[in-house]
Amino acid sequence: MFILKLLSTYLKVNLQQDLAYRADAIVNMVMSIIGTGWDLLGLSIIFANTKEIGGWGPSELIALMGVWRLVNVMMATIVWPNTEKFNTGVRDGSLDYTFLQPVNSQLLISITRIVIWRAFDLAIAVILIIVGMTGGNVVTSPVQIVAFLALTISGAAIIYSLWITLISLTFWFTKFDNSVTIMAALMDAGRYPAQVYPYWLRALITFVIPIAVATTVPLQALRGELVDLQILGFLAIGVAAVIVSSRVWKAGVRRYSGASS
Amino acid sequence: MFAIYRRLWQVNWAEQWQYRADLLLFLTGWLISPIIFMAVWTTVASAQGNVNGITAPEFAAYYLVLLLVTIATSDTTLNSLSYKIMGGGLSYQLVVPVHPVLTQMLVNNLASKALQMAALTPIWLILYLLFHPALAITPTNMLLALPAITMGFLLQFLANATITCLAFWTTRGGSIMSLYGTIFSFLSGQIVPLTLLPLFAQNAAAVLPFRLALYFPVQLILGTFTVEETLINLGLQLIWCLVLLVVFNLVWRAGLKRYSAVGA
Repeated sequence: MFILKLLSTYLKVNLQQDLAYRADAIVNMVMSIIGTGWDLLGLSIIFANTKEIGGWGPSELIALMGVWRLVNVMMATIVWPNTEKFNTGVRDGSLDYTFLQPVNSQLLISITRIVIWRAFDLAIAVILIIVGMTGGNVVTSPVQIVAFLALTISGAAIIYSLWITLISLTFWFTKFDNSVTIMAALMDAGRYPAQVYPYWLRALITFVIPIAVATTVPLQALRGELVDLQILGFLAIGVAAVIVSSRVWKAGVRRYSGASS
Repeated sequence: MFAIYRRLWQVNWAEQWQYRADLLLFLTGWLISPIIFMAVWTTVASAQGNVNGITAPEFAAYYLVLLLVTIATSDTTLNSLSYKIMGGGLSYQLVVPVHPVLTQMLVNNLASKALQMAALTPIWLILYLLFHPALAITPTNMLLALPAITMGFLLQFLANATITCLAFWTTRGGSIMSLYGTIFSFLSGQIVPLTLLPLFAQNAAAVLPFRLALYFPVQLILGTFTVEETLINLGLQLIWCLVLLVVFNLVWRAGLKRYSAVGA
């Protein structure tokens, strides 16, 4: 209950902040529609020249694009803006005030800054997923849809946990924000199914920066390509990632000594 | 004049070295997307033999040459100009007797490019081994590519500088720039070889100058142009460079008249 109240307060504060720049928000929404148009144009170029890519058809790739955008909404609304805030906090010591609050510090650093208008992308993502799913001739059962939703959430949780782990390492290495830059760059690889890539890139986006687990895997579940054991395995990895990352965060916080002290 | 350029080069070269780690990361982030395109198209091409006549090794060659030409011709520093215009930092450069954009920014760009090229070389060699491109570079093509790349760079630099000058009038230059960037990336061949674009886009690309900045130097190195075509395109490049130079100067002068430095 308390957490919900905290979250709604932060949402309100951030909404007020963003409302000061209404024109900016509208321009950015238009840009994101145009961006979707370009992405679709890119796909149409590919499928004008081939019927399938790595065993995936056009409507499946549209759905994949939707799932990728879904993960991206999370990154754009909370992860990237809060990274910026966190890095400044470490450098100038303002992080002290975060730790003084009687709330879980990991929660606090994850929701201080929320770029609300980015949630607009959520609508685009859902439309893409629905269009992609109905366009294909793949028959999906309710069970597959549930597995898809569960794996999408756990995939996003894995990416979030990776981010928490990376910024926690800042407590040990002081300047480590560059790792997040690399993470951002590799996120782009999630636009296409992992099967398309050469083995080394596939390994990279499955094990090191597991964007494929958050995008390709949920769609594979939707296509009914995964057996129950695999689905449970991926969900277990999601839970484990969340637990481990919050442990790392806590250990990191214990090392924190403030920039001024 | 030469002494000024030499001194500016020394300053900027040292300045670039100061941020070498950031530069390397910028490069890594920037490399991901062309590598993804290369991976996607080589997969498609090797699955069905060829795409529109282009085989997998040819795709690899296209993207690998594209990487080099992009680094050589792209502009990486002009976005700082819009901050200088909006924040008033331009004032300091206006009192120095060299052109802030055509001298200072240009040399700044060259320095960052030189370092990027050095950092890219080992990565490029690894990619070469991983993707097996069909690459046969002749000395003639390399020689012809030199002016093509130089003018390709000038085209991009002058076009970007002109658009950046919009910062004299509006604070929303960033959105315009990114819209321009997307159009540029499609019509210059940065995303796919132009022959794979839908027909209307191919026609647009043929008329518009974007292809001269990137696609033409790449294809020249790959050796797909006849001597006649090469000369025509080099001539077109020269004409567009001059046109853009005039346009830039007009916009720059008009902008300076409007410029009232923040804090002055």
